[in-house]
Amino acid sequence: MELETSQIENLVTKILNQMKSENKTGAAVPAAGHGTGTSPTYPGQEKLGAGGNEPFDLEYGMMDTSGKTYASPYPRIVKILDRLHHTPMTVDAERAMLYTNAYQLYENDPQTLRMAKVFAYILNNITIRIHPDELITGEVAAPSRSAPIYPEFSYDWIVEELHSGVWSKRNNDVYYISDEDKNKLLSIEKYWKGKTNSDAIIAMLSDEQACGSSLGPKPVFFPNLHLWGGIGHIIPRYQKLLKIGFIGLRNEIVDCLNKLDASTAAGLEKRELYVGMLIILQAIKDYHMRWGALCRAEAERETDAQRKRELLTMAENNEWISEQPPRNFWEAMQMTYSITALVTIESNGQGVSWGRPDEYLYPFYEKDMKEGKITKAFVGELWEQLYLKIHEMNRIRDDETCRLNSEHGIGGPLLLLGGCDGTGADMTNDLTYIGLEAHAHTQLPDPWLGVRWGIASPWEYKVKVINTIRVGTSQPKIFNDECIIPNCLRIGRSLEDSRNYSVVGCVEIDSGGREYGEHDASYFNLAKVLELTINNGHCVDCSASCPRYAKCAGANRPLGIDTGNLTTYKTFEELKDAYRKQMAYWVTQMAAVVNACDVAHARNKPLPYASMLIEDCIQNGKDLTHGGARYNFTGPQAIGVGTVADSLSSIKKLIYEDKRVAPGDMLDALKSNWKGHEQLLALVNGNQVPHFGNDDDYVDSLARFATDAYCDEVDKHRNCRGGKFTPGIYSVSANLGIGMTQGATPDGRGNYEALSNCLGPVQTAASGGHDVSGPIAVIRSAAKCDQMRAGNGTLLNIRFSPSITSGDTGRDNMIAFVEDYFARKGLHIQFNIVDTETLKDAQVHPEKYPTLLVRVAGYSAYFTRLSKELQDDLIGRSSYKSFD
Amino acid sequence: MLSNPESGIKGIISNIQHMTVHDGPGVRTEIFFKGCPLRCRWCSNPEGLSPEPEVGVFGHDCIGIDVCGACLKACPTGALMAGENRIMAIDRQVCKKCLRCASACPNNTLVVYGDRMTVDQVMDEILKDRSIYMRTGGGVTLSGGDCLYQPEFVRQLLEACKKARIHTCVESEVVCATSVLDSILPYTDLFITDIKHMDPYKHRDYTGFSNRQIKKNIEYLALKSTPLIVRLPIIPGCNDDEKNLRETAEFLTQTMRGNLLQIQIIPYRPLGIEKYQALGIDYPMKEQSKTKPGEYLERIRKLAEEFRSYGLPAQAGTTVKS
Repeated sequence: MELETSQIENLVTKILNQMKSENKTGAAVPAAGHGTGTSPTYPGQEKLGAGGNEPFDLEYGMMDTSGKTYASPYPRIVKILDRLHHTPMTVDAERAMLYTNAYQLYENDPQTLRMAKVFAYILNNITIRIHPDELITGEVAAPSRSAPIYPEFSYDWIVEELHSGVWSKRNNDVYYISDEDKNKLLSIEKYWKGKTNSDAIIAMLSDEQACGSSLGPKPVFFPNLHLWGGIGHIIPRYQKLLKIGFIGLRNEIVDCLNKLDASTAAGLEKRELYVGMLIILQAIKDYHMRWGALCRAEAERETDAQRKRELLTMAENNEWISEQPPRNFWEAMQMTYSITALVTIESNGQGVSWGRPDEYLYPFYEKDMKEGKITKAFVGELWEQLYLKIHEMNRIRDDETCRLNSEHGIGGPLLLLGGCDGTGADMTNDLTYIGLEAHAHTQLPDPWLGVRWGIASPWEYKVKVINTIRVGTSQPKIFNDECIIPNCLRIGRSLEDSRNYSVVGCVEIDSGGREYGEHDASYFNLAKVLELTINNGHCVDCSASCPRYAKCAGANRPLGIDTGNLTTYKTFEELKDAYRKQMAYWVTQMAAVVNACDVAHARNKPLPYASMLIEDCIQNGKDLTHGGARYNFTGPQAIGVGTVADSLSSIKKLIYEDKRVAPGDMLDALKSNWKGHEQLLALVNGNQVPHFGNDDDYVDSLARFATDAYCDEVDKHRNCRGGKFTPGIYSVSANLGIGMTQGATPDGRGNYEALSNCLGPVQTAASGGHDVSGPIAVIRSAAKCDQMRAGNGTLLNIRFSPSITSGDTGRDNMIAFVEDYFARKGLHIQFNIVDTETLKDAQVHPEKYPTLLVRVAGYSAYFTRLSKELQDDLIGRSSYKSFD
Repeated sequence: MLSNPESGIKGIISNIQHMTVHDGPGVRTEIFFKGCPLRCRWCSNPEGLSPEPEVGVFGHDCIGIDVCGACLKACPTGALMAGENRIMAIDRQVCKKCLRCASACPNNTLVVYGDRMTVDQVMDEILKDRSIYMRTGGGVTLSGGDCLYQPEFVRQLLEACKKARIHTCVESEVVCATSVLDSILPYTDLFITDIKHMDPYKHRDYTGFSNRQIKKNIEYLALKSTPLIVRLPIIPGCNDDEKNLRETAEFLTQTMRGNLLQIQIIPYRPLGIEKYQALGIDYPMKEQSKTKPGEYLERIRKLAEEFRSYGLPAQAGTTVKS
């Protein structure tokens, strides 16, 4: 389609010309060294439709955790892996400086246009680099394994930690920064003071609203992610983008512009967005041309003939996709990476996910294979390159966060394989198998690999999934089509979009490229609600040393609402009613804070680039943050299910039924952190009280009650983008950090111990795991919570020792185990295949296990680089040596 | 009319394990019955020996007499023995097995082995796992102790399982009267037993019983065409001499007539020592705990080969091929 010359077009051209004169020239610094390309020698099965490069039932054996050997059959993948393992993590100031500069330069522009120009400015000026042996190019505005900085979201913590120099002194998440970059970052402190998005959010909140959040000393909910950073948690609509290219987006925008009635308020706003988008598309074109030029320069210097050819192809790939839709698999792979990396340059939101590449890349693969233009072995190598490029991305987090969610990497780059297509037909294909093989070969924590699992998924695929898990890297995690598709329908997605569901971040269900889900909006501590319910709205560890004391107990006021306490509820039913009331109050407070985040992001940080990637923002003429997407949700997740279930079980059994314990004694025990109440502590931890995770309806029904009470309230709320709130039930590893804010609970947990993990059983310092009936009982209990209504996902961790999963029998039993949980409508399950002894040894001798990957929760990480707290938590989780 | 779950014959069950994978094909629920006529020196389930409920003592879990002492108050005979502020043991001569101490104990320091359960109650536990049997070709395994020490309860339980279309496996020492086998075989899909020694006198030395009835019953099972797995626990110094192994192989070759699904050669493992202590029973195999595991497992694999040379379907370990 030809562009029509119009007033708008002139405007865009004018803006672009003006910007060019303002931009300094970006100096491209090519990487030192030469990539000598070795041709892949993989003995692939070259037939289309025959599966991956390897037999589906190939057993990989356990990973080498010594870090000495790499499993990839491709020599240069091994070389890159070795480089990545030896590249220290750093912080890079360039993006922050460019952003700050442009943000001031365009301060007179309306905010959306300003964002577009700032983004274009960064693309025009950011340094770019190619690394040896690379086949896919791109960066997130920082060198390999280096973290860019996003001052627009929050900056105080960065300044604080720059001054303290803590980044390089941490035990885990160690980052280095040069003095030059440090000084640069400190130089913009003054500018950002009071101007960040988090400042705007906090200014919007009343004291009552803020005090229950993590801004207060005794939080009930934790909206940290979107309070201090970007929202992220999206999947670009790759399928459409690869089909129409950036030029297609441009045509669509121009089309909308031409039809626009710009005489209305809405029309004016739309025009601002469209103009911004066109500016960005031009910048993306120039950016890719720059990458092309860099590849050509590199090729010029290259002496190896084959590598030279590759570099020239890479140049052409970049230049072509700068506007046009990809013509072949390699170009499609390059464009996929570019699209996603650009999202991460625009904003630092976590959970920017890769959707289902085996689905959207398949047409390119099929065409190339049929035309004999590509080998399966080369596809395998490109796929492994993609995983390495994802691992290369990085992000720095504040010290507190790192202690609890250590070694997150870029954070939430979920890549999903398998499952059915929009019509409901199984779409497992060669690329699905190649995608799994690529993980078995690279054995990296990134991407966060997930697989879809349906009743109708091929048996060969299920075998391959289990074999990949048995490598021992704890990837992939498994999602249940039979639970998730109805779950998607329930909250209003169309049948096609539901079947086509994808997952972002850890376990958050998303329709993939059609949705702004604001997943992971906040953690919500169910145990805190119970505490306030049984103690007149006060914390059990209330004291005058609490920073809030003067406004709270000191002023004779509760933190929550006062509905009574354990001694005043005549029946267990009365207590349950009070719990529901307390829940309604706190979910409302949370909704207020989360919506404040939403409003602030919409005002301060519109995302004109990401808006082009999500359906139907262009058609609606609305930014993603303003509700332009087809689906708009807000997903906060509950934590502490097991803690609350076992606490309610103790209360019901010992106080209301057996009358063995006086309610006052229980309260005293909690307030004194069990001191002087050792007998009661032993009793609640012992086998006379039914415990969650043992397939016992007595207590499992209480877990159901607690999660239902939460979901009922969350379902009532609406967000600022015209969408619904939708609950999740998972903690990832935040059960540790949130536990540190939580006083003793009636399940036998002491002050500040970890809460129960996700949908798993309780483990306490006094007694260890409360699950004593084996893993099948754990999945049965978990399945009794209504996961079909947890639109934002649920999570269950299971740890097996390698011996139980070995051989064909172990494999078949694992498949049966997964299917038994999924038949009961469990939503997600993931495994660690590692012995307790190995973990303990790795804690003492980290040098022996540099690449021991373990499943932390929604993500995997190198065990020896985790914080001590997290290591202990993992060792404490029950491991099943046998199924009994 | 609803049947009372408390009514009917009761069995004494020491433990129900969900999802075992070693005693029969697939993933199984295993019911451990209490009571056994034999006293094998290498027994790793001492809680299965006595046919009565009894209390085990796990002193390291005791939270301290100064802060608790609930069991001492509950015990009518003063049988509990304390030391270092903990409950350490029970004087079994004085104890009347009233189990009150265990009910009073707030945690798992005092543990009752032996629940009296009806067939319906056991079936409730079994049915919880039915979906996993379906997926793995598993079922129920009755074990012990020796489950055939409680023959009528076992017969009723097996019948209930078959009505629920659940695969059944009986693991027994078969010291019982042959008529007991007749009563259960119609409801038994698979039988697991073991041969401890071919010599009747040595058998009595190691287990307290001659092997005459056992051999007779094994022959009877073969005659009845019962699918059978025979286990050979290899106890160094007790039954691993060449003569005994040869005689075992000959006995099996002559009697089995194609009914033998597997011979499982099982290494001795010093398991259950903690339970012996908890029950106040001397561990009878102290001298054997020093075997080097590596060499020994290699020997087990070689023995399996030797048995195969007799044309017997022998293998090392207990994995059942489905």
